[in-house]
Amino acid sequence: MWDAFGFEFVNFYLIPGLVLGCIYALGAIGITLTFGILRFANFAHGEIMMSGAYLTWTIMAIAGYAGLTLHPLVAMVPATVLVILLFLGTDRYFYKPFRKEETIKVVMASFGMMLIIRSAVQVIWGPNQIAFVPGIAKPNAMLRDLTGDLGAMIIMPNKHIFIFLGTIIIVIALSYLLNKTRIGKAMRAVSDSPDLAHVTGINVDNVIRATWIVGGICAMAAGVFLVMDTQILETTMGFRMLLPMFAAAILGGIGKPYGAVAGGLIIGLAEELSAYPWIGDAPLLSPGYKTGVAFAIMVIMLIVRPQGLFKGRSF
Amino acid sequence: MRNLLLANTALAMIATSAMADVNVGNPMAMTGPIPDLVAPIAAAVDLAAKHINAQGGMFAGGEAYNIIRADSACDPTAAVDAVTKLINVSNVAAILGPVCSGATIAQAESVSIPAGVVTLSVSASSPAITDMEDGTDLVFRAAASDAYQGVALAELAIAKGMTELAISYANDDYNAALASAFSAAYTAAGGKITANEAHEPNKASYRSEVATLGATSDNLALFAYYGSGGITIMRNALETGAFTSFIGADGMLSSEVIEQLGAENLTNVTFTTSASDDSTAAFGAWKPLADAAEVPASDPFVANGYDATFMLALAIEKAGAADRGVIAAALRDIATAPGEVILPGEWEKAKAILAAGGEINYEGAAGNQDFDANGDVAGRFSKSVVVDGKWSAELID
Repeated sequence: MWDAFGFEFVNFYLIPGLVLGCIYALGAIGITLTFGILRFANFAHGEIMMSGAYLTWTIMAIAGYAGLTLHPLVAMVPATVLVILLFLGTDRYFYKPFRKEETIKVVMASFGMMLIIRSAVQVIWGPNQIAFVPGIAKPNAMLRDLTGDLGAMIIMPNKHIFIFLGTIIIVIALSYLLNKTRIGKAMRAVSDSPDLAHVTGINVDNVIRATWIVGGICAMAAGVFLVMDTQILETTMGFRMLLPMFAAAILGGIGKPYGAVAGGLIIGLAEELSAYPWIGDAPLLSPGYKTGVAFAIMVIMLIVRPQGLFKGRSF
Repeated sequence: MRNLLLANTALAMIATSAMADVNVGNPMAMTGPIPDLVAPIAAAVDLAAKHINAQGGMFAGGEAYNIIRADSACDPTAAVDAVTKLINVSNVAAILGPVCSGATIAQAESVSIPAGVVTLSVSASSPAITDMEDGTDLVFRAAASDAYQGVALAELAIAKGMTELAISYANDDYNAALASAFSAAYTAAGGKITANEAHEPNKASYRSEVATLGATSDNLALFAYYGSGGITIMRNALETGAFTSFIGADGMLSSEVIEQLGAENLTNVTFTTSASDDSTAAFGAWKPLADAAEVPASDPFVANGYDATFMLALAIEKAGAADRGVIAAALRDIATAPGEVILPGEWEKAKAILAAGGEINYEGAAGNQDFDANGDVAGRFSKSVVVDGKWSAELID
């Protein structure tokens, strides 16, 4: 039955790899910004993704009772506001007191936040899985017929088209923010050298708030895209994405948002493509080792080029 | 579920306040990949304890039989932590079943066997548990080994006319062992395995896995927990059209699968599970008890959970004290002939016979529960298909 598809590589390896890469990329942007500007590895980042997805689902469910069918991307907007408030609240009460202390303390604080947020979600929504959107997603018929006529059939469900477009829009908006706006330039300045930025009169507190907001929006989008793809909500989904996202941030270079995007796409593609039968019929690497691929890339990068692809900070 | 957790916390607090009572530790996978499957098993465990306490409790003094619940999360590390606390802090007399095989093996090897504490698992079915002990007699289970389920599933696949299939299994103690038992039996029965690959649990996407496996066959034998990849694999396989029919086992048999994927997409799916023969007298005694308490009598491992709880109490009663060292021998005594047959719920009768110095033989709702030399029991299996949006089980002969 596979002969009918023909274009196996693109449809079952490349596109899934890009979808995963988009999700990693968005998550890694937030990680790389907090790492670059606030100088600590935020372990709670994955839980922000997860809680955002739960809030989005709740808003969709409430709208559903009222007879409205909301698209996840619409329900995401009010959920994003709540998550950003949560982000700013945790920063104010859990991270700010440690800001002048050694980094390890605030890293531990974020680790604690990770456990607190996950447990809170388990208490509120329960440990069971929740169906985000039940059923299975059929490929977009128009795209399939159109590309089929051209002889290069692409089968892609609508959810993947939304994920691609959403990621492209967010990355363009981010690059506008960082390159053209005052606060964006200030963020880059603080990331490059906080002391120098402070001396030139940049309000560091504002920059920190902007960092949480930008990171929060990207994390929200990553979380919602992830559940749009898997269609399952469960409480450890954010944590499972955390380590590949760290790998993506390190690969791209700490503090470099474009690096995070490139790193995310590379990690996502590498994970999926490593299982392609490049030589013979068997997968090049057993799919059981997919996660290992992300870390192998990260370790090699740290040894060969610790500053990352985009010349981020090295440690 | 939330209420259940709160109730358990309350139960644990009451338990620690009354130290004279009989306490058994119950590390269940309340969170993790299969919470939906575990909730009714936990309810059955609580029901058995309730029956025992309502019918005179433990020993002559009528002491309470307390279930101290913990969360093993279906995870070896979490199980070791939970059981360490139960044994060292809560000072329980015995461990009443981690649910998952990996959790059971890990806690037995690193905690309960070194501490000389009996483990009676409610549902751990990995063949690896059969001969894991070296000279001790401390690990028992009230569920049949997957060495048999693998054979039952292989026969089912052949009977369904699947002459070839691809296997995908999660790399853990339960799924990998079941996959290997299945593939041996299936090959021996003349089936052809076109591909046999492990998959990493908890990934967001399995499209490349199903593409690689799907290129070889239309039939998939899937060994996974529904909550840590199983549903996602089936979704990806259905979305891409890589597979048309699926077989699998207990770890996938949850209403979540139907809820998430939609019954209309699951017309060619059959999962087996350890099951009770509902024609036995023991099951006849169990069914009304379960119905009265609104516990689903025939759900996977629910009857096993009740049996295990009941047998452990009988063993402690027989031993005459909640003494860790003597429970294992007593457990063998009360579960096997000779002796007066005791059915589920008949605590008062059993207690009277034991008090008079008599012998009893517990016949469980899930099976006769006669432990063999390795602490294993025999069992029956059922196959489930989706009918009218629900799993409908049928016993395999």
